[in-house]
Amino acid sequence: MMSATASHGGVMMLPSPSGALQHQRPPTVTGSDMFRVRRKEPRGLRLVVAATAKYKGTKMREEKLSEMIEEKVKEATEVCEADVRSEECKVAWDEVEEVSQARADLRIKLKFLNQDPLESFCQENPETDECRIYED
Amino acid sequence: MAVSTIYSTQALNSTHFLTSSPSSSSKQVFFYRRQTNRRFNTIITCAAQQTVVIGLAADSGCGKSTFMRRLTSVFGGAAEPPKGGNPDSNTLISDMTTVICLDDYHSLDRTGRKEKGVTALDPRANDFDLMYEQVKALKSGIAVEKPIYNHVTGLLDAPELIQPPKILVIEGLHPMFDERVRDLLDFSIYLDISNEVKFAWKIQRDMAERGHSLESIKASIEARKPDFDAFIDPQKQYADAVIEVLPTQLIPDDNEGKVLRVRLIMKEGVKYFSPVYLFDEGSTISWIPCGRKLTCSYPGIKFNYQPDSYFDNEVSVVEMDGQFDRLDELIYVESHLSNLSTKFYGEVTQQMLKHADFPGSNNGTGLFQTIVGLKIRDLYEQLIANKANAPTEASKA
Repeated sequence: MMSATASHGGVMMLPSPSGALQHQRPPTVTGSDMFRVRRKEPRGLRLVVAATAKYKGTKMREEKLSEMIEEKVKEATEVCEADVRSEECKVAWDEVEEVSQARADLRIKLKFLNQDPLESFCQENPETDECRIYED
Repeated sequence: MAVSTIYSTQALNSTHFLTSSPSSSSKQVFFYRRQTNRRFNTIITCAAQQTVVIGLAADSGCGKSTFMRRLTSVFGGAAEPPKGGNPDSNTLISDMTTVICLDDYHSLDRTGRKEKGVTALDPRANDFDLMYEQVKALKSGIAVEKPIYNHVTGLLDAPELIQPPKILVIEGLHPMFDERVRDLLDFSIYLDISNEVKFAWKIQRDMAERGHSLESIKASIEARKPDFDAFIDPQKQYADAVIEVLPTQLIPDDNEGKVLRVRLIMKEGVKYFSPVYLFDEGSTISWIPCGRKLTCSYPGIKFNYQPDSYFDNEVSVVEMDGQFDRLDELIYVESHLSNLSTKFYGEVTQQMLKHADFPGSNNGTGLFQTIVGLKIRDLYEQLIANKANAPTEASKA
């Protein structure tokens, strides 16, 4: 087996000896269960929070986007009943796509990047309603 | 928009140090020297920062947050939204790079588009003149007040000030649509997701939302397809690198879209860009790394490399089908690829590990995104080195 020698930093770690054959795994392997070795945490302490909003304002945005998705899907379904090739139908589904992506972006930011979009705004304006810490 | 002006002087035979003073913190410095015996020969060395501009085309505008993170992470530092600004800003800033979302150049907001009956994909919904002006300004080292398109409200918000960065990435639906903008790009990438994979990804993205169902997801993709094919897809012929994502060929009748076949299509002859290759440049290689030295789990990994033709351009294609399961598979693969533009052995693996929890970390999407990031770094360093060495000859005075 190829041995990995790092010439820089201590980021890479050799896997535990696994010369034996791997047992059959289901094809649904996600990125997160990929490397079963510890990786060095980046410099500075990183608090790993669950994938939920930190501030009330962000939670409100999440909910608003989810509502909008529901509304716009309903709207698009109705509009397209008349003519599925009409401009109105196209635009209606495009709106659904836009808000769906916006919703997903927010989820990605919170889950993978641990960045609440209101972070820097709330540091400057902690007293606003939007910046109340969200409690479940 | 900050404007810099050049002042001329009367004195001859001397070196003058002139600074313009735009409101931005980046100054433009001109050394201006005129010699009496060669009246018409002036040399202006522009020590101003030269911004390298990268274009990234992808569907669903600026949703490629994880791709962006991989790209910018090669340069070090995390890309974050501008501090203290509009929380719905789409812009990302790190030490070296600024990423601009081209949705900010929508000329029509959501209501406007509904009235006119155009989707966001339609060029009529976008202000290409403004896009061109501002990208050009940033490229020349001039800060701009860029509009913000708010994806939550669907409105155009007040503009934000963008300082010219070292590397500017313009990301969105139309980075290569307008010819003038295209000419400003030092490098361009197109993320080409096949229909089956797009469907699978959108299912993963949307199924948890209570408004969505398989039918609504399907209907949305189909309704947008005509505009997508007409306006977005044709841009791929202009890209220097295309990352094509297809369903795997290793699992018969797979429709889960979890195992992927990813092709990195690289244009030949692009300045400062040397395509990655496997074993023997310009030849055709088929490689399965799993065997005696490397044990892989199902469905394994398969690589292909070959020269090819893409929209009348000569290209080289590296292709990976399958998944990484262990660290040693990744390092093994890395050690057999050439022209990666890494600075040390294992750099690709290290970069992949940094973002091991991102989607695509175990397959070709993460691998090729990382490699493209390294290629951009290489291109940037070469460009900067070149510009430092060559003073610009000004035209006759």
